[in-house]
Amino acid sequence: MLEVEVAGLRLRNPTVLASGVLGVSASLAKRVEEAGAGAFTTKTVTREPRRGYMNPTFVVLEHGYLNAVGLANPGIEHFCQELREMRESLSIPVILSVGGGSAEELVEVARRGVECGAQAVELNVSCPHVRGMGVELGHRADEVAGAVGEIRRLGVPVLVKLSVHHDYLRLAEACLDAGASGFTAINTVRGMAIDIYARKPVLSNVYGGYSGPAIRPIAVRVVYELYEAFPGVPIIGVGGVDGWEAALELILAGASAVGVGSAIAEKDLAIFEEIVRGLKEYMEREGFSSIKELVGLAHRS
Amino acid sequence: MHARARVAAARLAAEQVLELLLEVELPDPSPGQFVMLWVPRVGEVPMSVADYEGGVLRLFITRRGVVTGYIHENARPGLALFVRGPYGRGFTMPRGGRVLLVGGGTGTAPLYFLAKRAGLSSAGCTAAVGFKSSRHVILVDELRKYCDVRVATDDGSLGHHGPVHELAAALLSGERYDRVYACGPEQMIVEVLRLLEGREEALEASLERYMRCAVGVCGSCVLDPLGLRVCRDGPVFSGAVLRRLHDLGRWWREPDGRKRPLAPQATG
Ligand SMILES: Cc1cc2nc3c(=O)[nH]c(=O)nc-3n(C[C@H](O)[C@H](O)[C@H](O)COP(=O)(O)OP(=O)(O)OC[C@H]3O[C@@H](n4cnc5c(N)ncnc54)[C@H](O)[C@@H]3O)c2cc1C
Ligand SMILES: Cc1cc2nc3c(=O)[nH]c(=O)nc-3n(C[C@H](O)[C@H](O)[C@H](O)COP(=O)(O)O)c2cc1C
Ligand code: FES
Repeated sequence: MLEVEVAGLRLRNPTVLASGVLGVSASLAKRVEEAGAGAFTTKTVTREPRRGYMNPTFVVLEHGYLNAVGLANPGIEHFCQELREMRESLSIPVILSVGGGSAEELVEVARRGVECGAQAVELNVSCPHVRGMGVELGHRADEVAGAVGEIRRLGVPVLVKLSVHHDYLRLAEACLDAGASGFTAINTVRGMAIDIYARKPVLSNVYGGYSGPAIRPIAVRVVYELYEAFPGVPIIGVGGVDGWEAALELILAGASAVGVGSAIAEKDLAIFEEIVRGLKEYMEREGFSSIKELVGLAHRS
Repeated sequence: MHARARVAAARLAAEQVLELLLEVELPDPSPGQFVMLWVPRVGEVPMSVADYEGGVLRLFITRRGVVTGYIHENARPGLALFVRGPYGRGFTMPRGGRVLLVGGGTGTAPLYFLAKRAGLSSAGCTAAVGFKSSRHVILVDELRKYCDVRVATDDGSLGHHGPVHELAAALLSGERYDRVYACGPEQMIVEVLRLLEGREEALEASLERYMRCAVGVCGSCVLDPLGLRVCRDGPVFSGAVLRRLHDLGRWWREPDGRKRPLAPQATG
C-alpha cells in the first residue's frame, strides 16, 4: 500500500533520505535502509574533493536549522568506491546528488557516478551557500538543461533539485524540455543567524541554508505549483518533514515521495519508521489503499 | 543556539594544556559527553566535559592548531566564549564492583568526571593514567580522592617508564575488575581492547573524530563498517562494538570525507 514509483525508481515506501544528511558512506546508507527509508540520496559530490567551510557549519535554531557545510565531499573518484559498496549492500535505490560549477562538471560527475552504480542522478543546482555552484548555476537554465540532456543519455532518471532562489518554474520547464525525469523541491532557504551576545554571525560562512519545520509551508507551496504546472511529473517533496503529517502534506500538494533531512537531528533514524507507520494508519483510517490516491489530492475538487 | 560562557579562570594545568573554568548554563552533562566550544570569528571545536558543578563548566584543552591555539593565547577571566551541548552518549555509570580507569593525556579529564559523579573510592577504583612527561600531568591529585592512582610517563620522569597500557596490563594480570573505562589516544584504546581479549571485564571507551554538526545529521564523524556516528551514537562505545569497528586505530575521516591512516599519536 505504501509502495511508490518515482521516475522509474521503485520505492517500498515514499520516504527518501535527503541529500547532505548522512549521505557520506555505504555504512550509513545501510543504517538508513535498516531504519526503513524507501530510497537514499548521497551527499552532493563534485569532481574534486572539497574540504568545506570551517566550523561552525551547523547550528540549531528555535524553529529550524542553519547550515553552511560548503559542499564538503571526497570528489567523485573517491566516492565511487562508496557507491559500489552501496550497490552491493543496499536493496533500496541509490540516488547520486551531483554538484559542480558548470554543465561540463555535472555531466562528468554523473557519468562516473552511474558507472559506479548510481541508479538515478539528482542535480543539485540549488545549494544556497557555495559561490559559483548550486543556486548560481541554477540561474543559468540553459546550461542546466544542457547537462540534463546529456546525463539523460546515460540511461538513468535525472531529477533536478530546485530552490526558491531561482525562477524555478522556468528552470523546471527548460529541464523537462531537455528530458528531466522529475524534481526534488526544495533545497534550503538562504538565511543567517547572529548571536546576540557574541554580536557576530554564527556560521563561519556568514550565510547558510535554513531547513526544518519553518520552511515546510514554502516547500508545500513550491511542490503545489510544480504539480499544477507540470501534471504527472514526479516530485520528491523536501523541507521540514518531521513526522507523518508533514510528509502527508507534501504528498497532498503533489509529491510522490518525501525527503527527510534535518529532522534527524531531533528524532534520529527512528523518524523513517514513524512516518511509514503514521502514513499507513492514516490510510487505513481514512480509507485509502495506495499512496497514489493521495498524490496531489489537494488539487482536485 | 550557543550559550554564552564567561571565562572564570584560565590556567596552564600542564605543558600545552589549558584548564578553563566557564560560567555557563547548560543541561546537566553526564560523564563522557562533550560540548561544542565556539570562539567567534575563530572556529568551533568539540571538547570533553571534565566537570560541571554550580554552573561552572571545566575543560582541559591541549594546544593543537588554530582554535585551541587562540584559546591558549587569549583566554583570561571575563572573555566570552560560547558553548552548545552537551552532546553524545557518555559512560554507563558503574554500579558497585571494581572499576579500572585507563586514561591518556587530556583523556584523563572525562574519567575524572566519571569518578567524581559516580562517587567512587579507592577501595573500588584503580586508575592508570599516562602522560608524555611529569610536566604534562593533569588531574592526578584530584583523582586520588576517588581512585587508587598509578601514573606512567613516556620519558620515565614520573611513575612507570612507558606507555600507560603497560600499567593497565600489570594491574589486570593481578586482579579482576567489573568494568574498564578508557579515554585517550586511539592506539591506547586499541591496546586496552587487546588486553581485555578473552576476559570478562566490560569495556567502555571514548573516541574522537572530525565533527561538524555534533547532532548526528552531517555524517562527518562516521565510523565504518557499522555506520556509527561518534557525535551521537558515541563518543563512548562498548568493547563489543569497538571490536567490530574496522576504522578503530586505523582510519581517520578528513573534513572532505576521505580517509587517511590514523597517525600513531603520543599521549597528548
Ligand atoms: C568528542 C571529542 C572530545 C574532545 N575532547 C577534547 C578535550 O577534552 N581536550 C582537548 O584538548 N581536545 C579534545 N578533543 C580534540 C579537539 O577537538 C581538537 O584538538 C581540536 O578540534 C583542534 O582544533 P584546532 O583548531 O586547535 O586545530 P586544527 O589545526 O584545526 O586541527 C588539529 C587536529 O585536531 C583535530 N580536529 C580539528 N578540528 C576538529 C573537529 N572539529 N572535530 C574533531 N577533531 C578536530 C584533527 O585531528 C586535526 O588534525 C576532542 C575531540 C572530540 C571529537
Ligand atoms: C547539514 C545539511 C547538509 C545539506 N547538504 C546538502 C547537499 O549536499 N546537497 C543538497 O542538495 N542538499 C543539501 N541539504 C539540503 C537538504 O537536502 C534539504 O533539501 C533541506 O535541508 C530541507 O529539508 P529538511 O527541512 O528536511 O532538512 C543539506 C541540508 C542540511 C541540513
Ligand atoms: S558531527 Fe555531524 S554527524 Fe557527527
